[in-house]
This record gives sequence, structure tokens and C-alpha cells, in this order.
Amino acid sequence: MTMKQSWITLLFLIMIGIPYSGTVQAYVDEEGCLLCHKYPKMGRITEDGARRTYYVMPHVFGKTVHRNVPCRDCHNYIEELPHREVETGVTCNTECHSVKNPATGKNFSHKPIYDAYRDSVHGRDKITSELESDKPYCITCHTNPIYNPKEESIPKRVTDRCVICHEDREFVESWYSHTSRRIREVKRSSIEIIELCSSCHEDQSMVDRRLKAAEARGEELGKKFPVAAETYKDSFHGKVTRYGFTEAANCLDCHADYENYYLSVHEIRPSRDPLSPMHDDKRVETCQRCHEYANENYATIDPHPTKDLESNPFIYYAEEIYNWISYVVIAGLIALALFETIGRRRDGASWKLRRGSSWWRSNRKRKDRDRVI
Amino acid sequence: MKLSAEAQKVLETSMRINKTDDAGRKEIAELIHLMPYDRVLLYKNVVSNPVGDLPRYSIHIRIQHMLTFVTFLALAFTGLPVAFYDHFWAEPLNTLIGGVDVSRIIHRTLAVAMILTMIYHIFTITLGPLAQIFKGRFEIRRTIIPLLKDLVDFKNDLLYFAGIRDQRPEMDKFMYKQKLHYFAAAFGNIVMVVSGSSFLFPDIWASILPADIASHFQELMRLSHPHEALLALLVIAFWHWYNVHLAPGRFPMQWTFLTGKITREHQIEEHFLEYLRNLVEIPEERSYLQNMLVARELREEGHVHEDPEPVGSSGDAPAP
Repeated sequence: MTMKQSWITLLFLIMIGIPYSGTVQAYVDEEGCLLCHKYPKMGRITEDGARRTYYVMPHVFGKTVHRNVPCRDCHNYIEELPHREVETGVTCNTECHSVKNPATGKNFSHKPIYDAYRDSVHGRDKITSELESDKPYCITCHTNPIYNPKEESIPKRVTDRCVICHEDREFVESWYSHTSRRIREVKRSSIEIIELCSSCHEDQSMVDRRLKAAEARGEELGKKFPVAAETYKDSFHGKVTRYGFTEAANCLDCHADYENYYLSVHEIRPSRDPLSPMHDDKRVETCQRCHEYANENYATIDPHPTKDLESNPFIYYAEEIYNWISYVVIAGLIALALFETIGRRRDGASWKLRRGSSWWRSNRKRKDRDRVI
Repeated sequence: MKLSAEAQKVLETSMRINKTDDAGRKEIAELIHLMPYDRVLLYKNVVSNPVGDLPRYSIHIRIQHMLTFVTFLALAFTGLPVAFYDHFWAEPLNTLIGGVDVSRIIHRTLAVAMILTMIYHIFTITLGPLAQIFKGRFEIRRTIIPLLKDLVDFKNDLLYFAGIRDQRPEMDKFMYKQKLHYFAAAFGNIVMVVSGSSFLFPDIWASILPADIASHFQELMRLSHPHEALLALLVIAFWHWYNVHLAPGRFPMQWTFLTGKITREHQIEEHFLEYLRNLVEIPEERSYLQNMLVARELREEGHVHEDPEPVGSSGDAPAP
């Protein structure tokens, strides 16, 4: 598709989108981006057939954490309207132009956490090769949380004091929400963390693809990499966590450094990396966070237990033996019970009650309690 | 009837222990003589009170059974939904109990109760026999300790069920099934306590055990706890409940676990040697049996059956 064709398509899409527009704007659009991006049908079909929408939903965006950031603070490559084709788009380490970090006076940016993430095992560029795109980018986990400052009742007795000087109640309430949201615990719950990590680590096609690639490159992946999610769910930690128990370890409790939680969850490394809390040198210390008396012996216990013949023959054979014992015992006892029933029925015992007992049938002996004295 | 050598020995021992006087010995000897050779006739003709006639379990054993029974089932129902989380019933059952936050408290509390029951039981089975030894009344055959006889009894019982043998074997106070079940439960309890403690104190177990086996031990315990629980539950469900509730002649239930007494017919049928001891220990039982034998015309000695009908194929009445 040539550039000209693209623009014609775009125009067409805009036109059919017009009747659907007209939503109330919840924030200031000084740059005029919504002139075009308010149209729901605004989008295109890419060269490889993917559908892309460029519609900015004002009623949704107006509630996100970025609602007060001017578009071109992040989309800083936009220099004219209509703008040219976007290549990389926004990366999360972009420096904002207008929002200043009040502590340092520098332009605000997510760069520090982005750099930590880039160094981790998950680090990748936004636009990258097919294989690398198995890794999560910032927005894989951070879905630009939508929050509505009005959704929780703001303590009026607090904001009443602010309004005295700051006058504008709406301004006060939105800043109060902005601050209180960050003061409150915003950690994900264990169940959410497991769901998040499993969304990739449970994907067998991703695992296969990466195993194949690692083999081709002669690299080594962690031996628990292919089974991380399923074996966790089968472990004691996983079993109680799935029922909502919050004190058992989730993925991040072991694979991230708990001391600096919010930073370290971005720095996850393979256990062979000496910086990982799961590295042999740091494992005991990591276990001790919860298991007070953990020692080197304890650290050898597998938190991702497998039971197949190849990786864990001991447990494989133990389970086989247990299963056979169970089958034999259950089958044997049922057989004995049936055999006994047949034998005792022949003897005349039955299930019918008479005079408080179920011995009553006359039988081969011809002498039974039916013969009243 | 003429007692088997084994039964005679049990009877002699019991009379010696109970210091039965000559009159009593004579009475018992006469009673045994009157009894028909075919014990089937005995247990089918005695009158039994369904809640039990003859003493069997002390109050301690009954309390321990009750505690074991309640703790075991509650432990199973709080534990199984966690272990077998991927089954359809797991989540509803867990929710019914009140979620894992509740069930784990129940599970651990009852685990302690179960361990205390075990300790109580160990005291009972140690102090009881010790007192008996002290009084010179201890008989190893009357305990639950497995003996070679149990294997023979098992074989003979199977032959009886198959219709090959004429009578059930003369079994003691605890028959082969009860001994098997008791030791299975004892073994299972130990497995559950050890493996359960390895979930509760994994770090302590690991620090006690050598490095080479700490991990294997923990994995084996993870495997054993739910396996043993499920096996125990199935054995309870399929077998114990069958034996005490569903078996013909035992239906709808035996009251022994509450009253501590066994019915007369059951005692004669499955615990004949214990019934002989009952005859020695309870004089009223002798007179009951004697009256019954006379009234029902079952006396072996010199008695002619009035039964007009011919008897069945295999069931010839014993010759006078």
C-alpha cells in the first residue's frame, strides 16, 4: 500500500467514523490530537494484515494515570499535523517534556525502572524480533491502570481543609486521589501475580519456541523454565495460594528481592545469575525469609516439584509403587467384601431386619430363630 | 461338642486365670458337652440384643474410636480439596468448609487432636496389658497382636465363604480383618503425622536430616500425605463401613462402638474363642446358653431332632 492509498483509507475510515463521535471530553486537548483520534473507526489494516485502531476513547483515557500528560510529551516524534507514519511509537523510557520531577526538577521519566527491566531476563526493545517478542514489554504487565478519582468516596473532612486555599474542589480531589493511590498498597495479589506470570510461562508454544532457539544457539535455559507454572501450581505453595491464601510464596516472593520489592520485580534474573535470589549462593537466605530455620539442606528441596521419569525417577517410581499398592488394596478389599457377602448370604444372613437383627432366613441348616420357642 | 485342642487350651487358660472353682469347671464342661458340633446352629438360635450382649470394648477404646473417627473424617475433608485441587469437587468442598483460611486452622487443630488421641491410645494399650500382666490375667492371644493363627483363620474363612468348609474358623477376640485394619490405621496415622509435620516444619526436618536425603524425604512426604489420606478414606468407605454397616447380618449397624458390647450371635460367629472366655467369666451366660440349648432342642447329647423335614444337601445335623 502506497502512502497515498493509506491516506485515502484513513480518510474513508474517518468519514464512516464521524457518526459515532461526540463523546464528552474529560481532559484538555490543547494539541488537537482528538480532532482525528476521537473517531472510533480511526484505524488501518497493516501490510501484514493486522488491524490497528488509533481511536483514543476520551471517556476511558480521561480516567487513566496519564490523562493529564499532553500527548506529545510521550509522542514526541509528532511534529506536524497530520503527522507522518509512526515507526516505534512511545517507549516507556521517554522523557516527558512538560511534567517535571518535583524532587530533582528534571523531566519526569520511567527511565530508572525501565533500565532495571532492560537488564533483567525479560528485557527487550519495544519493536523487536519475533523470538524476542515472547518477552514481556512494559505494557504486557502494566495495562495503564484505569482509575476513577470519583469511584471511592474521598474523605470530605480532609479535602474540606485543602479547598480553603486551593479553591477548586475538582483539582483537590484529583490530587488527593493521585497521592493516596500511591501511598496505599498497590502490590498485586498472589493470585494476580501467578495469573500474570502464567499467562506467558504456561504457554507451551512459547516454551517450545524458546527451547528450540536456545538449543540452536547453544545456550542453556533454566531446568525449571519449561515447567515453571504447572509445577508451581502443583506445589504446596501453589495449592494454598490458588485458594486465596496470601502468606504462601508466589512467583515474585522467591524470584524477586523482597527488600526492594517494586524495583526488584523488574529485575528478575535466571537462577544461574549470581544476582538472582534463587542463585545457589543466595537461596538459603531467600528461603529464610519465610522458613526461619532453613539451611543448605532445606535449599535443596525443589519448590517446582516434577514427578516424571526423566527429571525425578525417585518420585516417579515411588508414585508408581504407591499407586499399585492402592489399586491392589482397594481391589483386594472390595473382592474380599464381595466374597464374604456371598459366603454369608449362603449361610442365611441378609439385610432384612427382624427382631432387631438381620439373621433370620431359614437355610440349609433348617434351624433358625424363626422357630419360636 | 468336643472342643478343638486350640479352643480347649483357651478355655483352660481362661479358667485358670479366673480361678474357676470345681463346680464352675464342671458346669462349663457339661455345657460344652451339650453344645452342638455345628456352631452355625448356635449363632443362629441365640437371642441377641442388637445393641450388644457381651462386653468387648472399654470406655477408653470407645472414646478413642470416636475421636479418631471424627478427626479423621474432618481432616480428610479439609485436606483433600487442597491436595486434589484440580478435581471438580475440590473448590466447592473447600468453599463449603469456609475456604483455605478456615480449613487450614481446622486441619492443624484436628491434627493435634488426632495426635493426642494416638498418645491416649498408646497409654491405654500399654497400661491396660501391664495391669493384666501384674494381675496375671494377660493373654497374648486376646490382644490385637497378629499371630500365625490369623493367616490360617483367613485361609479357612475364605474356604468357608467359598462353600468348601462347613464352619467359620474359631477366631479370637480380634479376627484377621480387625488386626489388618488396626495395623493399617496405625501405620497410616504415623505416615500422616510424619508427612504432615514435614509440611508444617519443613525447615526443621531438613535441618535434622542429612543433606543427601532431605530433598527426597520432603518429596516423598508430599507424595505420601495425600496418597495415604485417600487410601485410608477409601478403605474406610469401602471396607470398614461395609464390615460394620453393610455386611449382611450387620446391617444397618453394629452398636459396639457406642455401647462397647457385642451381640451374642456375632461373638459366637466370628469370635468363638472369646465367647468361651465369656462363658467362663460370666456365669449368667452359661445358664442362658444352657436354657437356650434345651428350649431349642439343640443339645447334642442323647437328643433326637424333632425336625420332620429332611435337611438340605450339605447341612446334615450332627449325629447324636
